[in-house]
Order: sequence, then structure tokens, then C-alpha cells
Amino acid sequence: MGKGNKNSAEERKNAIWSFFASVRLTVVLLIVIAVSSILGTLIPQQEEAQRIMRELPPALVSILQSLQLFDMYHSVWFLLLMLLLAVNLIVCSLNRFPRTWRLFRSARSGEPSRRLEGDAADRIFTAGGMPAGVADQLEGLLRRKFRAVHRMEDGGVVTLHGEKGAFSYLGVYVVHASILILLAGAIIGSLSGFDGYVNIPEGGTIDTVKLRGGQGTKKLDFAVRCDRFTVEFYENGMPREFRSDLTFLKDGQIVREGSLRVNHPIEFGGIRFYQASYGNQPGTALLTVRDGGGGKKLLKVSAGDQFELGGRKAVVSVLRIEENLMNMGPAVKLGIMSEEGGIAFWVFSHIREIEEANPGITKQVPQFNPGIFKPFYFSLGGIESAYFTGLQVSTDPGVPVVAAGAILMVAGFMIVFFFSHRQIWVRVEGRGGRSRVSIVGRCNRDPAGLSRDMDNLAAVERKQSLQE
Amino acid sequence: MNIVILNWVTFIYFGAAVFYFIHMLRGDDFWGKAATVTAFVGITAQTIALIVRWVESYSMGIGHIPLSNLYESLIFFAWTVMLLYLIMEWRIGSRSAGPFVTPFAFLLMAYASISPNISGEIQPLIPALKSNWLTSHVMTCFMGYASFAIAGGLGFMHLVKGDEATGREGPSKSFRRFLPSRDALDELIYQCTILGFIFLTLGIITGAVWAHYAWGRYWGWDPKETWSLITWLVYAAMLHSRYVRGWRGRRMAVMALLGLFCVLVTYLGVNYLPGLHSYIKA
Repeated sequence: MGKGNKNSAEERKNAIWSFFASVRLTVVLLIVIAVSSILGTLIPQQEEAQRIMRELPPALVSILQSLQLFDMYHSVWFLLLMLLLAVNLIVCSLNRFPRTWRLFRSARSGEPSRRLEGDAADRIFTAGGMPAGVADQLEGLLRRKFRAVHRMEDGGVVTLHGEKGAFSYLGVYVVHASILILLAGAIIGSLSGFDGYVNIPEGGTIDTVKLRGGQGTKKLDFAVRCDRFTVEFYENGMPREFRSDLTFLKDGQIVREGSLRVNHPIEFGGIRFYQASYGNQPGTALLTVRDGGGGKKLLKVSAGDQFELGGRKAVVSVLRIEENLMNMGPAVKLGIMSEEGGIAFWVFSHIREIEEANPGITKQVPQFNPGIFKPFYFSLGGIESAYFTGLQVSTDPGVPVVAAGAILMVAGFMIVFFFSHRQIWVRVEGRGGRSRVSIVGRCNRDPAGLSRDMDNLAAVERKQSLQE
Repeated sequence: MNIVILNWVTFIYFGAAVFYFIHMLRGDDFWGKAATVTAFVGITAQTIALIVRWVESYSMGIGHIPLSNLYESLIFFAWTVMLLYLIMEWRIGSRSAGPFVTPFAFLLMAYASISPNISGEIQPLIPALKSNWLTSHVMTCFMGYASFAIAGGLGFMHLVKGDEATGREGPSKSFRRFLPSRDALDELIYQCTILGFIFLTLGIITGAVWAHYAWGRYWGWDPKETWSLITWLVYAAMLHSRYVRGWRGRRMAVMALLGLFCVLVTYLGVNYLPGLHSYIKA
């Protein structure tokens, strides 16, 4: 009890603090994050990982999955690394900021070095006239370049002090703060945003989207209908433009209509829709049904449609429509339920050619026989493809925060790289009717600029000698 | 037409590189001036070619700024390298970096012209590239790459310069005599790195904004985005080492070369990895 425990608790707190306050930790963390990020570009991630997961032994796959190596940028350990880096950054900044702030505050009243009085000043020259007059001239020049100029007079000696740019010391903290804001924005986005996608067939309506990373689906509280999908091509076959004409419906009422194009997303209900891709899926099939007694019916069917066959009390279901089944051309799979039970078979568009190339095939493979359900005979005229539009659907409340962080970072860079704390002292002392001027300058960056400013002041000597 | 000019530019840059080399070995001001003039002629011709290409694309009905595929980006990379080099040569009044930077520009142009996989034809923009962000993103990225390329070249010179006092005798020692002092090189590497770092930051930011409008997310960890971040971290580490730990000299030179390696992986290497950005390969 008592002092012993308190000291060790303090020691432990100090140890944790100094662990996080070290720049060495930053270097280690950055190296680990960089190496992990590189690994993530070499190991297939998310959707692309499906392929490699099938090729590897299952035991290995489950180990790699539990390490979250196939989605590493969203993994627990990657997030942890980022959090450690954030804590490291905060602690380092808190550690160093008080000293920098004191430096910034005391910048105005920097003591001139002793060099100002001796022969070791940066510039020394003699000017005609009394100190007060010469000092006036120099003060005027100083005020043109320096925001804060102070003048002190002490027994005939005039000392001028020009100072500017002390805020450049704080630039580093602006940059580091911007990094923390970026990280915060990213966290906000991943916690309260979602990233999904959906395919809408032309003419169709959806109200549910699939979430990325296999996280299931999300129902929206409105519906989206794709009225029309247009794709235009250049002469050489490359795509020129994709456009989806969308209608947004709430409770069946049209609330908004708009055209979605790549690079021009639409926002509705706080959710953004992006034109991502498109595709073709077999839409409708032209089916001819002959009833074996001279009758012929022409039907246009889609997958999922059902129709009756008169006379046999049978129901035909259109199970699948394929544009190219097993390289034998367009085919439709039909299922027929009747008193004798259920059968399923394929109707090929090119059945004649298939039978010529493979004599007897319809006997060997009954499912390829379009006349299997006697006396009916089915033939497939053709298949019309329908477009579907692929949309990226997402919301990310962290975006404004990330944007603010990015702007702040650029501002921070401007301060760090293009501004420096610059001070100039000028001492004017009377020497037998003339004035001896000595100039000392100090800066934390850009010595060339400081030198130019001092040269400008020293130019007084040249101007005077020209006048004399 | 523009490709004809660009092919000529390739040879002009080769000539400039040769002249810079001769200037370095002979110290003759004639060859130095010849090199600078040749480089200037080259970049002027290239600028004209780029404008011609831009105008030609409009007359073909598929008008766009010539920054849209691998061929155009290689050409633009070479252009920015030469532009930044000539500005640097003018500001520091020295041609010593010429032999180490101009060959890089020449190699970029040569690769673009000769490689069978890279077509110089003007091609229309696919929908994803039809954005105003294309211009700012590509320009800032390549200005960054060019600055880093020059810093890398200077880093190479720094390492070759070695230690004058203890260097071995022989032709390599007299060759090193022609290189500027290591301190001067160090300062130049630092300034090029700052310029590159700012441009790369702007490049990453404009890229993220564009991705936000085109792909629905400002950051997706695809290989190009990830490697650009790694490049950024390497240069951030380099600047930190200089400011916080006072690193100078050889270590900076090595990091400049490491950074250039990351730049090349970011620019070209990621085309061999899967992801949204590698449409460039197609």
C-alpha cells in the first residue's frame, strides 16, 4: 500500500507514454504498414481471391482466411497498426508541442546576438547622416518586408528588430493534425458507411443491394428503376459512353429521374449511385410449340415464365435461357409437369446441325430431345438479349472529414516548406557625423532569402554613395 | 504526324545526352552549350508534337488532352523530366546533372516508340477517363515522378562521387572530379524531393477525388493506390530523417534511389498486378 504502489503505477504510465512518444516506434510502424500494404498488392484480395482460394489446399486457405490475408486492408491487425500509428502521432505531438509553442510565443522578442555589436555582424557599412535619420530610412525598408518591426533607442544607438514567419514552427503540427483527421474520416466511413453493388435489368426495379466483401445485402427505403440503358461504341469497338436512365421511387411514387454516366454519380436518399459496368443477359426466347396435329403456337418467353399445354393438362416452365450452351448455340431449358410426373429438357436453336454432327444424340441424351414430350415438338427461334446496368452503390459520411484533412495537409505543407521564421536586427550608431550600421540575421530555413533581405538593407549604402 | 515529330525528339534527346557526356569529360563550354541547345530544341519540338496530337484528336472527333494511355504518359513523363531539368540547369547554372538525367528522358521516349505493346495511335477515351480530373491528376503525378527521377539521378551521382579523399586512383577517380560537390548534390536532392513530394501529394489527392466520382470510393487499396502511398511514405521518411535526425549525404542519396524504385513500381510495375488501374496494360 501507499507510496510503493503509486510509484510503480506512475513508472508504468511513464513507460507507456515514452513508448508511444518515440520516433523509433513511428519508423517501425511505418515499415510494417508499408510491408503489409505491399503484401496486399501481391496476394489477391477480396473478389480476386476466390480464384486462388480454390487452388490452394483447404487447410492453408482456412489459416490464411483467419489471418484475414485475403481482405487485409480491412483486417483487424491492419486497423490496429493504423490505430497504433495514430496514438504514436498524438503522443509525439503532445510531447513536443509545448516547446514549439513557447518558441513561437517568444519569437517576437528574440534577443539579438552579441555579433551585432562587434565586427562579426552579417553586414557592416557606414552611411552618411545622423543615426536617427539613417534609422528612419532603414526602418522604412524593414517595414516593407517584415510584419513586426520594433525600434529601441538607447543613448544615441538605435536598434531595429524585424521579425516574421514564426508561425512556420507550427506547420509540422498542422500536417500531423491533418493525418489524424484523415484517419478519423476513414474510420467514420468504414463504421457508418456501406459499399455495395447491384445489377438492374433494363426495365427492371430493385430495392436491395449486395454488399461488398460478402457481407450480405442491404434493403434501401426506396426503389430504383432502370428505364433505359444505352451503350455507345466508337468505330473501333471500344465503349464510348454508358448511360442509365434511372427513376427513383418512394412508395411507388416517382420522386426523381436522372441519367447516370461514368464519372457523374447521382445521389438520392443520402446514397450515391455510380455507373460501374453493364452486361448482357439472355432476356427472352422465341419458342415455337407444335402440337403434333398441325397446330402451331409462337411464344415469346422469359426465364421463369409458365404456360399450359392444351389437351395434356401440362404446365411448361421456362427454367433457363442460355445464349450459348456447351458451344452448341442458343438453348432454352424447359420443365414440364404433368400427370406422368416432371421432366426437364433443353431445346436447342441449332438442333438440326447438332443432330447432323452427332447422329443419334437425341436418343443417347434424352434431355437434348425437343420432342421428348410427345406429341409436342418444341423449337427455338432465337434469343433476345437484354442489357442490365451494373451500379456501384455506396455512402460514406467520412468523405467531408477526409476532404478537410487533405486540404489541411496541403496547407500544412505550404507552411512547412515555403515559410520560415526570419529575423533581422539593425544597429545604428553615430560615428563622427556618420552612422555605423551593422546587421545580423537569423532564420530556421531558406538562408538565401534572408541574405537577400539583408542585401536590400545594405543597399542603402550604395544609394547614399551614389548621391554623394 | 505527331508521332513523326516524337520519334525525332527521341533522337534529339539522345544527342543531348551524348553532348552532356562529352561536356562533362572535356569541360569544354562549346559542348555544354550544344547540349543545352539540343535539349531545348528537343523539348520545344516535343511540346509542338503534343499540341499537334491534341488538335489531331479533336479533328478525329475523339478530342482529349494527350495524357490518356501508356504511350502518352511515357511521352509526358519524358517531357516533364526535361522541363524540370532545364529549369534546374538554369537556376543553378550548372550542367553537371545533364549526363545523368537526359538519358532517362531518352529511354522513356525510346521505350514508348519501340515497344511493340505500346501503340502511338490516338485512341478515344473510354467512359471512365472522360473527366476533368484526368488532366490535374496525370499532370501532378508526372511532375512528381519527374522530380523524383531527377533526385534519383542526383543520388546516383552522389554515390558515384564517393569520398574524394580516399577514392581509388585511376579513370574512375578522374571521372568523379567532374561531378559537383557532395554537399551541393545533397542540397539539390533535398529540393527536388520537396518538389516531388508536394506534387505526389497533390497527385494522390486528385486521384482520390477522381476515384470518388468515378468508382464510388476515394481509396480502394488497389495496387496503384497502395504503391503510390508506399512511395509517399518512403519520401516522407526521407524528409523526416533529414529534419528530425539530421541525416545528410550518402543516406539521402540511397533513399532517393529507393524512392525512385518505388516510383517505377507505382508507374509501371503495378500493370502486372490485378486491379482497376491496370486497364492501361490493355
